Amino acid sequence: MVSPAIALAFLPLVLTLIIRYRHYFVLFYRAVLVRIWKDCATGLSREERVYQYVLTHSTPGDPDSILEAFDFWCSKVEYISNIGPKKGKILDRLLMEQSPLTVLELGSHCGYSTIRIARALPLGARLYSIEMDQRNAAIAEKIIRLAGFDDDTVELIVKPSDEVIPQMRSNYGLERLDFVFMDHWKKCYLPDLQLLEECGLLGKGSMILADNVLFPGAPKFLRYLRKCGLYEWKIHRATLEYSRGIRDGMAELVYQGIK
Amino acid sequence: MAIFNLSSEQETSEEEDDKETNDDDEVRPECLSPEELEKLKEAVEEKKKLIQSLKGKPWPMKKKLVTLRESQEFVEKYEGALGKGKGRKLYAYKVMMTKKWVKFQRDFENFKTACIPWEMKIKEIESHFGSSVASYFIFLRWMYGINMILFGLTFGLVMVPEALMGRPYGSIPRKTVPRAEEASAMDFAVLWDFKGYAQYSVLFYGFYNNQRAVGWLKFRMPLSYFLVGVGTVAYSYMVVIRTMARNANESGIGDDNSFNFSWKMFTSWDYLIGNPETADNKFASITTSFKEAILEEQESRKDDNIHLTRFLRVLANFLVLCCLAGSGYLIYFVVRRSQKFTLEGLENHTWWERNEVNMVMSLLGMFCPMLFDVISTLENYHPRVALQWQLGRIFALFLGNLYTFIIALMDEINLKRKEETIVKFNITTWETSLYNSSMSGNVTAPPVTIHPADVPRGPCWETMVGQEFVRLIISDTMTTYITLLIGDFLRAVLVRFLNYCWCWDLEAGFPSYSEFDVSGNVLGLIFNQGMIWMGSFYAPCLPALNVLRLHVSMYLQCWAVMCCNVPQERVFKASGSNNFYMAMLLVILFLSTLPAIYTIVTIPPSFDCGPFSGKNRMFDVIQETLESDFPAWFSKVFSYASNPGLVLPFILLMVLAIYYLQSTSKSYKEANVELKKKLQMQNEENKKKNKQAALKAQMDLEEARKAATQAAEHRRNNNASFQSQEGEIHNSYSIIIPILILQQQQQQLLLLLLKVEENHGRNDRNHNGRYGCSSAGGSASQPSVRGPISRCYSNRGNSQYLPGLSQQTNPRIYRTPSLQSH
Repeated sequence: MVSPAIALAFLPLVLTLIIRYRHYFVLFYRAVLVRIWKDCATGLSREERVYQYVLTHSTPGDPDSILEAFDFWCSKVEYISNIGPKKGKILDRLLMEQSPLTVLELGSHCGYSTIRIARALPLGARLYSIEMDQRNAAIAEKIIRLAGFDDDTVELIVKPSDEVIPQMRSNYGLERLDFVFMDHWKKCYLPDLQLLEECGLLGKGSMILADNVLFPGAPKFLRYLRKCGLYEWKIHRATLEYSRGIRDGMAELVYQGIK
Repeated sequence: MAIFNLSSEQETSEEEDDKETNDDDEVRPECLSPEELEKLKEAVEEKKKLIQSLKGKPWPMKKKLVTLRESQEFVEKYEGALGKGKGRKLYAYKVMMTKKWVKFQRDFENFKTACIPWEMKIKEIESHFGSSVASYFIFLRWMYGINMILFGLTFGLVMVPEALMGRPYGSIPRKTVPRAEEASAMDFAVLWDFKGYAQYSVLFYGFYNNQRAVGWLKFRMPLSYFLVGVGTVAYSYMVVIRTMARNANESGIGDDNSFNFSWKMFTSWDYLIGNPETADNKFASITTSFKEAILEEQESRKDDNIHLTRFLRVLANFLVLCCLAGSGYLIYFVVRRSQKFTLEGLENHTWWERNEVNMVMSLLGMFCPMLFDVISTLENYHPRVALQWQLGRIFALFLGNLYTFIIALMDEINLKRKEETIVKFNITTWETSLYNSSMSGNVTAPPVTIHPADVPRGPCWETMVGQEFVRLIISDTMTTYITLLIGDFLRAVLVRFLNYCWCWDLEAGFPSYSEFDVSGNVLGLIFNQGMIWMGSFYAPCLPALNVLRLHVSMYLQCWAVMCCNVPQERVFKASGSNNFYMAMLLVILFLSTLPAIYTIVTIPPSFDCGPFSGKNRMFDVIQETLESDFPAWFSKVFSYASNPGLVLPFILLMVLAIYYLQSTSKSYKEANVELKKKLQMQNEENKKKNKQAALKAQMDLEEARKAATQAAEHRRNNNASFQSQEGEIHNSYSIIIPILILQQQQQQLLLLLLKVEENHGRNDRNHNGRYGCSSAGGSASQPSVRGPISRCYSNRGNSQYLPGLSQQTNPRIYRTPSLQSH
């Protein structure tokens, strides 16, 4: 039988752990516990709830107000891992500098980042957004149309990314992608990147932006970047979306081609 | 000056290269005339000089390397070949021996480095983790050395003599396990608690006999015991203070405040880093420190957020104080409870309850620093400052824990002493009853022999204190190692291998690998040492245990650091912190000798155990020795010397001397600061002067150039003779020549050059007019080697400087006026 004094001596350890990892605990609470509870309470999925909220709290046809409604819901009500306003600014800036004509987005989820990208695109540019999940894709479709982007600007493809990428050239007549935004499964970053290389969709100067490379993190992806030497790359350090203490980063890659 | 030096050497080297190539096919050292040999020797000397001074040359690296290799080859080739007949052999032998000697010296240096224990290990760690982590290991090694000496003293002068020459085990009661404990005396659990046979051995105070001299050597055991106890402490004081003084000299005068950015710019890189990851971290930390410094600079001008920072710092300190109070109370509570347990009898309680005090102390000592670390993020200090705060806080925590422990021990000592008086009374009654029974039985019967194990005995508080300290050390060591294995190794293994199948990146994100905790480890070491100092009087085995512990932890921690830790995110240099450790060690030394001395001076030793049994106080052993082992006059002198009337003035004198020394050192320091200021001022003044002089020189030069061009035109027009033109140019450059003449120190070199030149001239074979003097100048100077040097000088100056003047002289001429002004 352990005496209570010894148990009490563990109190500093517990306190330390709680204080040091408080952001992770908060994130766990918001992203997992609240979600499960709400799922049970409302009978709707998280994406459907956010769609309802956005529908009632924003102006149709105005991407900015939709994004704002999203940000508010994600930071105050529940948690969805969108790119978020802070990292979104970096994305906006890169898009403005690059002004790409063909953009591929891997993982549109609820369409937040799709709207964000479509908003910053120049005239005549086209965005291909890939989403694997059927229900998420339906909601993303609705939200994108709500923001006022038509089929010419944004094309939503409901298929797994590793199926779509090899067919891009034949099915969509694409020669080269100017900008790729990755925000799907972190495990798929590396295979998809390699797939893009294989299919020759990347030209010199094509930019790839990968979100969440530090948390939850894509270590294999980063290791590959260090080794392969095909890219000029850097990591934009920021914090995780809708949370202050967790560090995260976006990897910006510029394809240099084989020298 | 610079140009002269440079160009001349350049040319000599070129010339010699040339000669070398010629020598290759023609010159054999055997068939050289004495003059040639002389010349060759000089050339070799020249090469050697060149090799030595190569580092300071303002040449590109490639050229340096090429020159170095060439000259080395040259020297290699001709050095052995010099001299003639017997002399040559001797010379060759000498050269060979010097080479061997140099090589031996280098090998010896390597050997010396290899002899420093763990040097390579520490260097490797330093290259991976920066110097702050390495400083811990260096400190550990230093501690190990000190403990070796303490161990040598106690082992050689106390334990071994008693074991070899003292009475054997079982001869007297204090050296025998009592009858009641005999059955379980060899059990591992009992031995692990340092009871049973371990208690009745040389490891503890109680085993030693109060016999004045043991063995055929007449070894004065009690005296030796006492002197070793005092000597270890005195030696530790001496070593610590000496090291501190040396470190203080080394640390020098760093004023970090005045040139903040310059310091950062030029001194922030840690050149011992040899690991790419650490280098990355260092790079990032330098960049952030620059950013922070700039921000700080801005903020110090704005000065608005200071209240928040102050508030946070006060809050952090308040939290830390709360934590300290809580841990102090917990230990107090546990100690009280354990006293209650002892009164009730320890056998009724579980292992957990019996070891509660040690456990709680170790756990608190382990976890509270973590909490402090978390709290200190509020304060936002520079990591070096933060480390010192952290050290101070942990210091306070450990000190509180240690002193609570000591106070509890004191209580226990008092209990034992009460017990002792009762036992003493019982023993007298027992003895009288024994005597009476033997008397009453048969008068002629031999006196009853009682086995020493059956003799009743006192509680012996000294052994109890020793046991407590040994147990504390053991449990502390165990906790450290277990933390290392669980907190570092197991965590690293989990992170490494779970990362293959986990939903986030374990290595970069949440648990990650642990960092090496410099402050906690250093303080653990220091407090461990404090306990050794405190307890080693009552348990002579403590230094031995500590040596063992340090040895193991050196290997274990080296391995753990290299295997499972990652470099700190903010790598910083720990050059200044060594003396901080030392200061803490000194404080701990003082604080740990305090209770030991208190017990020695105030509490009478137990009546039936230990080397001082039967005496009123432990230090009485000195008086006894003085009376019986020294002549009478000596003890008289000693008693006079220890008279307060003599001691007090002596102490007063010492205090005065210290005061005097301190005030003089202070005044020296002030003088130093003044001188520094003066130097700075002078530098600035010089700079101004130099600028003016340089401007003037430039203007003069411009004029001179104009004059030269005019002269040239004049010559072209008038078709004047070569002589007159040279003279004119000479005149027009008379401004520069004084500058050159200024360098009278250069005469040496010049003479040498001329000599070489002369040889060269005589030695017509290789003469190809490459020398500084043109062929005309050379021939002119040849007869006048012993004549006025300045003439040849100016000649040389002319012929050399004229062509390259416009490119070469301009930048260099700036320096010369400053030389003039000095």
